[in-house]
Amino acid sequence: MDAGAVGIGLRAQHYAELLERRPALAFVEVHSENYFGAGGAALAWLERTRAIYPLSLHGVGLSLGSWDPLDTGHLERLRGLVQRFEPAFVSEHLSWSSVGGRHANDLLPLPLDEEAIRHVAGRIGQAQEFLGRELLVENVSAYVRLGESAMPEWEFVSEVARRSGCRLLLDVNNIWVNAANHGFDPDHYLEAIAPELVAEIHLAGFERTQDLLVDTHGAPVAEEVWGLYARAIARFGARPTLIEWDTDLPALDVLLAEAARAGAVAA
Amino acid sequence: MSLESLQRRFLDAVLAAPEPADARLAVYHRSARMNRGGALAQAYPVVQRLVGEAFFGEAAARFGDAFPSRSGDLHAYGAEFATFLARYPHASRLDYLPDVARLEWAVHEARHAPEGEAFDFAGLGAVPAQDVGLVRIRLRPSVRLVASEHPILAIWEANQEGCDGTPAIVEGGQRVAVGRTRSLEVVPMALAAGEWALLQAFARGATIAAAAAECERAGEALEPALRGLVTRELLGGFEAAAR
Repeated sequence: MDAGAVGIGLRAQHYAELLERRPALAFVEVHSENYFGAGGAALAWLERTRAIYPLSLHGVGLSLGSWDPLDTGHLERLRGLVQRFEPAFVSEHLSWSSVGGRHANDLLPLPLDEEAIRHVAGRIGQAQEFLGRELLVENVSAYVRLGESAMPEWEFVSEVARRSGCRLLLDVNNIWVNAANHGFDPDHYLEAIAPELVAEIHLAGFERTQDLLVDTHGAPVAEEVWGLYARAIARFGARPTLIEWDTDLPALDVLLAEAARAGAVAA
Repeated sequence: MSLESLQRRFLDAVLAAPEPADARLAVYHRSARMNRGGALAQAYPVVQRLVGEAFFGEAAARFGDAFPSRSGDLHAYGAEFATFLARYPHASRLDYLPDVARLEWAVHEARHAPEGEAFDFAGLGAVPAQDVGLVRIRLRPSVRLVASEHPILAIWEANQEGCDGTPAIVEGGQRVAVGRTRSLEVVPMALAAGEWALLQAFARGATIAAAAAECERAGEALEPALRGLVTRELLGGFEAAAR
């Protein structure tokens, strides 16, 4: 995929309009689990979309960092999608969602320590082997630090990528949110990430509560995050970039305008 | 503390019934509950409309406490909601609610079911006449059967988008088959007694001869009932008798 490629996260509400208008987008990204069914309309829509746009499969439920065994049923369904739709990217989160068989269905933070690195890097390796292709892993927004969390997040993320042999889906908004919530310099984070590790970038909106920034994917990309994105591109070079929006989904045109803005930054 | 213990303790706090006092932990508690509640609302829009958002939100939270999510795929979440509602004291006066929920779960499952084969007219026509009675017809994989002593389909239809919630007048209960059209639209439809008996028999793997007997016991002739099921695309392939 072209380094300056810009895409949007595609949700069911926008299928019909997207296929009718066919706006110029370099790719679309969908949540893998929304297509885990064996048949039906969702898969048929994805098929029609894939005939027009390159695709990125973005998972939210694999629970990569969990202490439980990897869910091979989940991986099998993902592999089925990968084989059928031949996506440009397959990505998941550097987090966990379940333990002891119970799922929070949310992206929970890993402790930033050696045990977690070893554990999750091994699991990423297993998943990549199972899928027969590279898995990009995304840095998540975190509101608490688990355990001792002895190292800075950028070290943790880089080390996981190095040991598992995967590259990163760098979410610039999550860096901004974590910098505010945990008190570090977001530019320092960017400087610590090796450019060759960054395969894709995510941009999304956060919302502010009393003392926290919360990564809700329900707002426009913040001005501060646009600034950080421009500095990320200056450091890493242009990277395929995606606008994510999941809650309070706006009109398709709003997403397209955000995508156009990202394209202008990367140009 | 080991990674496993850290995760177990953290998950307990995230899934605990009361919201944690710690504001940062509470972000996870709310977000996890919102993700699960949202999935439940997507599978059960009619139940939500019948009881209102506030009631539904509270019921969804209590459901989550009683039936934790077991999958990273939220489409699998909520199968036991009808069972939960049947025992939920605040819904005890809405005696039709659990059956409406069963119908909605059937619709939800039908949306994601495999396509399966269409009814094979030519193949069935080629079966020697003396063997037709031994044929076993399969239901399409998307077909679900829900019977209730309440008019659940009338309630379901009246609470679709653009409808005002007033159900058509139906005496007594309804037998409903949920099917999926060629354009992948999921449609629940009311069945007559004979059609229901036929589908039930086919679902169990009965032969045409045995199914016909049940259809007739329900007071209907085989042929019109069978034709009704074929027209509504509820039937799939078949197995001829092993000779």
